[in-house]
Amino acid sequence: MSKRSVTVAAVEVEALERDAQGAIAAAPTRAALDDARVRYLGRKSDLKLALRSVRDRESGMALNAARERLEAAFAAREGELELAELDRSLTEDTIDVTLPGERFERGHLHLLTQMRREIEDTFLGLGYEVFDGPEVEEVYYNFDALNTPEGHPSRSPVDTFYVSDDVVLRTHTSPGQIRYMQAHEPPVYMVSLGRCYRRDTPDPTHTPTFHQVEGLAVDRSITLADLKGTLLHLARVLFGEEREVRVRTSFFPFTEPSAEFDVSCFLCGGRGCNVCKWSGWIEMGGCGVVDPNVFAHVGYDAERWSGFAFGLGIDRIAMLRHGVPDLRLHWENDLRYLEQF
Amino acid sequence: MMRVPVSWLKEYVSFHEPIAEVANRLVISSCEVDRVVHRGVPDTNGNLSRYVVGKVVEAGKHPNADRLQLCRVDVGDSEPRQIVCGAWNFGAGATVAVALPGALLPDGQKLEQAKLRGEVSSGMILSERELELGVDHSGILVLEDGPAPGTPLVDVLPLSDDVLELETGHNRPDLLSVYGIAREVAALLGKELGPPPGDDPPRADDEPVDVRIEDFEGCPRYVGRTFREVRVAPSPPWLKARLLAAGMRPISNVVDITNYVMLGLGNPLHAFDQAKLREQRIVVRRARRGEQIRTLDDTLRDLDERDLLIADAERPVAIAGIMGSLESEVDEQTSDVLLEAANFEPLTIHRTSERLRLRTEGSNRWEKGVDPYLAEQAAKLGTQLFVELAGARWTGDVDERRDLPERPVVHLRPERTDLLVGLRTDPGDQRAILESLDFEVASDWNVTVPTWRARDVTREADLVEEVARFRLDDVPFTLPQRTAMFGRLSREQRLRRTVEEVLVGCGFSEAYNWSLVPEDDDPNAIRLPEPLSADQAVLRTTLRHGLIESAQRNVDAGAHDVALFEIARVYLPTGDKLPEERWRVGAIASGGFARAKGAVETVHEALEVELRVEPAPQPFLHPGKAARLESGWVGELHPALLDGKWGMFELDLATLFAAVPDVVHYEDVITYPPVRQDLAFVVDESVAAGALIEVAKQAAGDALRELWPFDVYRGDQVGAGKKSIAFAATFQSSEKTLTDKEAAELRNRIVTAVQSRFGAQLRA
Repeated sequence: MSKRSVTVAAVEVEALERDAQGAIAAAPTRAALDDARVRYLGRKSDLKLALRSVRDRESGMALNAARERLEAAFAAREGELELAELDRSLTEDTIDVTLPGERFERGHLHLLTQMRREIEDTFLGLGYEVFDGPEVEEVYYNFDALNTPEGHPSRSPVDTFYVSDDVVLRTHTSPGQIRYMQAHEPPVYMVSLGRCYRRDTPDPTHTPTFHQVEGLAVDRSITLADLKGTLLHLARVLFGEEREVRVRTSFFPFTEPSAEFDVSCFLCGGRGCNVCKWSGWIEMGGCGVVDPNVFAHVGYDAERWSGFAFGLGIDRIAMLRHGVPDLRLHWENDLRYLEQF
Repeated sequence: MMRVPVSWLKEYVSFHEPIAEVANRLVISSCEVDRVVHRGVPDTNGNLSRYVVGKVVEAGKHPNADRLQLCRVDVGDSEPRQIVCGAWNFGAGATVAVALPGALLPDGQKLEQAKLRGEVSSGMILSERELELGVDHSGILVLEDGPAPGTPLVDVLPLSDDVLELETGHNRPDLLSVYGIAREVAALLGKELGPPPGDDPPRADDEPVDVRIEDFEGCPRYVGRTFREVRVAPSPPWLKARLLAAGMRPISNVVDITNYVMLGLGNPLHAFDQAKLREQRIVVRRARRGEQIRTLDDTLRDLDERDLLIADAERPVAIAGIMGSLESEVDEQTSDVLLEAANFEPLTIHRTSERLRLRTEGSNRWEKGVDPYLAEQAAKLGTQLFVELAGARWTGDVDERRDLPERPVVHLRPERTDLLVGLRTDPGDQRAILESLDFEVASDWNVTVPTWRARDVTREADLVEEVARFRLDDVPFTLPQRTAMFGRLSREQRLRRTVEEVLVGCGFSEAYNWSLVPEDDDPNAIRLPEPLSADQAVLRTTLRHGLIESAQRNVDAGAHDVALFEIARVYLPTGDKLPEERWRVGAIASGGFARAKGAVETVHEALEVELRVEPAPQPFLHPGKAARLESGWVGELHPALLDGKWGMFELDLATLFAAVPDVVHYEDVITYPPVRQDLAFVVDESVAAGALIEVAKQAAGDALRELWPFDVYRGDQVGAGKKSIAFAATFQSSEKTLTDKEAAELRNRIVTAVQSRFGAQLRA
């Protein structure tokens, strides 16, 4: 008798498990799944009753294995249904993703500070130091030591703010060259950026205060070619990799040879437009090989060292590059301007 | 700006290169060329062929118009043309300039055959102004007889020209002349330069010329020439045309000749009416105290003892090199002229011109330094033109001078050029460039500088520039070969950037305000003796004013939320020559005290600097919301200064940065758990939370990690004049877990300390 009942039980278990797996897979909701669980694994289920009544070890193992498989199937199905339910509820929680997010009030660095940093970083990358010289400057540093003789038009009180006979508001960042060289032995690689002052009545292209960057390199064998290469690098950083640079002869008391440097127009690419006044070139600033008289003022031996220097106006470059129509906008601090950059 | 008519230029150097190419060469190597402009009759599409010489065959009143003439003009065709004309300064037989129908006029209009008051006019008889050859429009241009009717007008008159508009360097006064530019063009293009213009005609007499130089310092040379029977009249069309093209207005032949010589050669001349010179004498001297002169522009000017004068026996007749007197001016009655071709010292002319704010074409040249050897050539050209154009007799000549400066001799090492330029230029090529500019290069490379460059070229570096400027386009683009490597921001520069970043992160935008303000707090602030305007008169000692103004401007523009900061220098008077320039950060923000204080706290946190503030009034701040900290102040702006609640601060950056640690060291706040407790103390109103914290920290030591005030309560439960401040205390050790007992002990130390110091009662 016992032998027969085992056989019967095995057949029944297979059928039972098949039924149960079918019900699990078909349960559409967690409630239906719970009902199935009661039916197939509940206290009064056939499986539980069979387990309770079984006596032989083999049948017991078969029944338990079936139970374990069913429990795992219930758990897996339960997980599926839970996820589906969560998805359903999340779908109801749909938002308009095109609406703005939480607003963080962010301030803005002034355009000129951004330009300043761009230039500083360019020269830091080339291994230069950044030097801050005084803005209220002795005539000696602003003119005399830069080889600017009396009678030179830049010294005229028509153009220069005099504080007293021997003190001016610096008209360029070049006096920084002298101060730096007096304090350092060569080699020198430095840039100096900051405010300068000239007696220009404010208009769209003039402000009596403006910003310049000065560069100075002094080493064993600095050449005009090194100057051109350095300026080309700067021009490409500021205006794009396709830019070209040309130098034209000029005159500055503190460089010899002196030149002005232009960048090919970033707007028209050199074909001619009203930004470059149809020349294809935009004036950037002045430059040259350091004049031996300047070296004499700081005690450098012009036979052992040579150098180049350059200077350009930051405000104007920012104006051109960003299409700011009026230099005075840099100084009005209108948030509608500041927040654009 | 200098204007160089190309036709004039070509008189001294002949070239066939397009003018645009010549301009490009000049731009790189010589001077700025603003642009090339066309003047006169447009010369495109055969337009010049529509301008011809005409001979008036008949001229009479227009039948239907009183003010018009009806003419028949022979222009070389089989039949004369009928032309209606508004001018009456000619009649039959006159030789005139005619534009034929289809001609494009200098003003851009196209001439059409037209009917005027019923009569056909097939052409136009031209005035000098219509041809841009002069300014006269009172009548038409009557030509000298000679050219046959139908002769192209361009063969008779300078109808059409290109003009180079140049800016020359301060060091190149030699370029302030057509001949000087021609010399440069010849060198650049490798062409032959013609001889300088001006040949002395035979002298008609040998009258003495009384020129006395009392001040050779100011006037190293004075060539004086006298002329008689000068006929003052308008200049011929070619001369007028050249002056106009060069940007000067024709006046009379005598004045025009002096200007022409100045433009052509670069040596300004002056013509005196000799009859108006007392004792017919020229004295070059400095002005006497109190002396005055009424200049040509009819302005009475006070003279200074440093001013150089041209005087006669009694009184000044010109401010040397700048402007003549009204009284000695050449006028229509003048027949005897003394022509001055002098040389003046630049600084003297510069000072006087500057002091009088009087700049002229002459002073512009003198103050840059005119070659003293040039005076004689200028006198020759002037003399030639006086005789040719004004029918004058040249009667007297004197050349007063002391020793003129020697030509500098400068040694050049051609290899030095290559070293400084970074481009090899063959020594032979260097020599050729220098020689093309009239430098004399000896075999030992001692270079003798031409007189017109003697001020500018005195050292080897100057010769290097002469070569380099011819090769600028060829110089390659290289980078320095460094012998040492460095380059970084200084600590202060780095920290300034940090402050900028933090404030931008806090929502502040960066402002740039003028260093110069109308008034400053500090009565000793540096004041410009001659400010550009009253608005920009004093160097600021605080950033406050600019920030307030900027905030106001934004409010006026309709902004609601304004937060601005500025990082810039202030200029503190020291009593020494230079002020002390200190970097400051200042800020202003709508929203009142808390916003400014919060920003100050965030800056301190970012810099790892402990912030300590104490109440301290400032006249510009709300008296109850004003605090001092080591580096500056923070507070709420006094509402009388700007409507609304505005938080502000201003900190001295060097002071702030001094407290920044170089390196931040790790503290273990992870291994052992903190113990957190709330504590509330009842204190008098006058006790500041900061003071309690200070005392608590002293009492509890490092184990009190934080004491954060999170609530202040006033009301019945604490009584009048009192407040309760609630703190969240965090105790933590980096060495062990604090026991309850140890935490209680720390807490008791705090309670005891604030009680004994402030009478603070722990609130149950």
